[in-house]
Amino acid sequence: MLNNFRQSMAWVHTWFGLVLGFVLMVAFFFGALSVFDREIDRWAIPDTRFEPQPMPSYDNLLKQVFADLKPHPVDMVATARRVIGDLPAPETMPMASLYAYTTHRDPVLSIGGEFAIPNQPKDPTDDHLHVHGWATIDPRTGKMLPDDQLKIGSNWFYPMHYSLQLHWKNLGIFVVGLAALVMLVALVTGVIMHRKIFKEFFTFRPRKRTQRSTLDLHNMSGVVALPFHFFFAFTGLVIFASFYYFPVSGTLLKPLHDRHEVIEAAHTGLPHDEAGVPAQMASVDAMVAEAKRIWADRDMPGEVGLLTIEHLHDANGYVSIYRAGSDRVALVGEGIHFKASTGEVLREDPARDPVGAVNQFLTGLHLQHFEHWLLRWLYVAGGLLGCICIATGFVFFVEKRKQEHARRGLQGCRLVDAMAVTTVTGMVLAVVAMLVANRLLPEAMPGRGEWEKWTFWGAWLLSLLHALWRSAPVAQARHNPAWREQCWVVALLCVAAVLLNWITTGDHLIKTMLLEPYWAVAGVDLSLLACALVSVLTARRLARPVEVKDSARIGGVAYE
Amino acid sequence: MMAGVSPAAVVSRILAAIFGCYAFVWGVVALGVAVLNGAGVEYHAAEQAMMILAFVLYLVLFLWAFSAASLWRVWLVLALGSALMLAAAWQLQRMIIG
Repeated sequence: MLNNFRQSMAWVHTWFGLVLGFVLMVAFFFGALSVFDREIDRWAIPDTRFEPQPMPSYDNLLKQVFADLKPHPVDMVATARRVIGDLPAPETMPMASLYAYTTHRDPVLSIGGEFAIPNQPKDPTDDHLHVHGWATIDPRTGKMLPDDQLKIGSNWFYPMHYSLQLHWKNLGIFVVGLAALVMLVALVTGVIMHRKIFKEFFTFRPRKRTQRSTLDLHNMSGVVALPFHFFFAFTGLVIFASFYYFPVSGTLLKPLHDRHEVIEAAHTGLPHDEAGVPAQMASVDAMVAEAKRIWADRDMPGEVGLLTIEHLHDANGYVSIYRAGSDRVALVGEGIHFKASTGEVLREDPARDPVGAVNQFLTGLHLQHFEHWLLRWLYVAGGLLGCICIATGFVFFVEKRKQEHARRGLQGCRLVDAMAVTTVTGMVLAVVAMLVANRLLPEAMPGRGEWEKWTFWGAWLLSLLHALWRSAPVAQARHNPAWREQCWVVALLCVAAVLLNWITTGDHLIKTMLLEPYWAVAGVDLSLLACALVSVLTARRLARPVEVKDSARIGGVAYE
Repeated sequence: MMAGVSPAAVVSRILAAIFGCYAFVWGVVALGVAVLNGAGVEYHAAEQAMMILAFVLYLVLFLWAFSAASLWRVWLVLALGSALMLAAAWQLQRMIIG
């Protein structure tokens, strides 16, 4: 596009990196938080602070729990819009299928079911008509947890990571997808721009002026974790590819895909449809024991991660038992399927073909169901390095231009800088404010989870307004004091969150680390304190007067 | 900064890189799945292989859209290529199903 290849690539790096950088920042930061989503859930829902539990007995406990599970009011409303006529009363709907899911980090068990309805769909191609019900239970007692307790980690930060909570037509997922592609683009163009990649690895000059040291940090954080950044952006795209980005099987190639499904259903022997004949259920616990025996025979003993039953109480009903993937990277289920009425083995999932194995490895590496705490922390470090790389990119963009913008009376830098404040300190502020709200709102308050979400958005919006309000100095080539001020607020909120956790639950750090170790909560508290410390150090550093000694231009790099 | 490049040309290149390349990769994925499946590869294996390939290709095309000298050629290759591949995938599917 421009005169030469490197200049064109530099242009792409700068402008795509800037615009999608704001999205990338969100994806990286909430991705890093999602590594410990279950632990954040424990912090936010004190009733669930107990040890992870194995899948409970179906015959003695889950059977009754599922009998009590009813269609969820939210899905009742959503389904009512899709069908002709009124839905029957929720208590009368028969359950057609169910699932129970847990991981090695979950004290609680997620369960759900599909309820059959007699209504016809408004849209004839709408071929999945059920009302769903779901709940989280205490697997020790079978007690359902209150519905409006928001799982802040796994149901708010985690969806934020890949969807920005923009659910309209899955817009958020596509925006994050474009950002992930731009991450790949930025890494490749970044390497093309620099060439001296080996040297960048070891170059950081913190005492030089902001522009120089920012660029050093940008290059270093980009290069040090380059394989990490590339891999996560890439595997993130692959995970969503066949369903969202390139849904060939549901659209253009649907006939080919459906033909394959029919062949496969005949091949696997798992009934695709109900027989219409009622049937009793054999002992599911016996099937679980048999599945564990088969896994042990294959030299991979394990616990149950997912249990599903299709065509419940029908002669064609079958139970599928999948292994929890705590001990390997690849997402493998080793599913064993049983006939529900007799308990005989219908099918054992075969080993994957090579392509499937590669795919499972890529997916598993991103989704990390494995149990390896050091690796988990490395993921967090990688995610935060990504944030540093993107944030320093913003700062460099502003530092490089603000003298000239000030001279010419332009406001561009001022706006970019305010946006950067909002996506760096403002995002952290929103997260911590949400945790503080979680501890301050009364336990029995109706719609508590909604209030927590509004606190999150409200705090983020305030940080934007604050950053814009304080941005005038940038137009005169000086720093926006909002950076510093928001650092102080973050530090204050972090400490407040830790103290509030102590006051409201009695779980202070000495207890959670030493007396009755509970690392999920201790880890969140310690991370909050670390965040407070970093914020204070940053705020103090930013308060120092800026010395402009080194006026040498930045050589060797074709920045456009 | 952008001497000699009109804003319209910049916008056109951005659209080509994002949407033109997207359509082209769509075509490659659809045709690739149909060809592999037609050649006897299991459907989901074919699909997964193409999904992995898709983003490597998207990345390369994206950069090409900005580095190619002629913007017209970029649009021509992307538009014609995606249309032809989508049509070919559709036709091949009809032949396989019969």
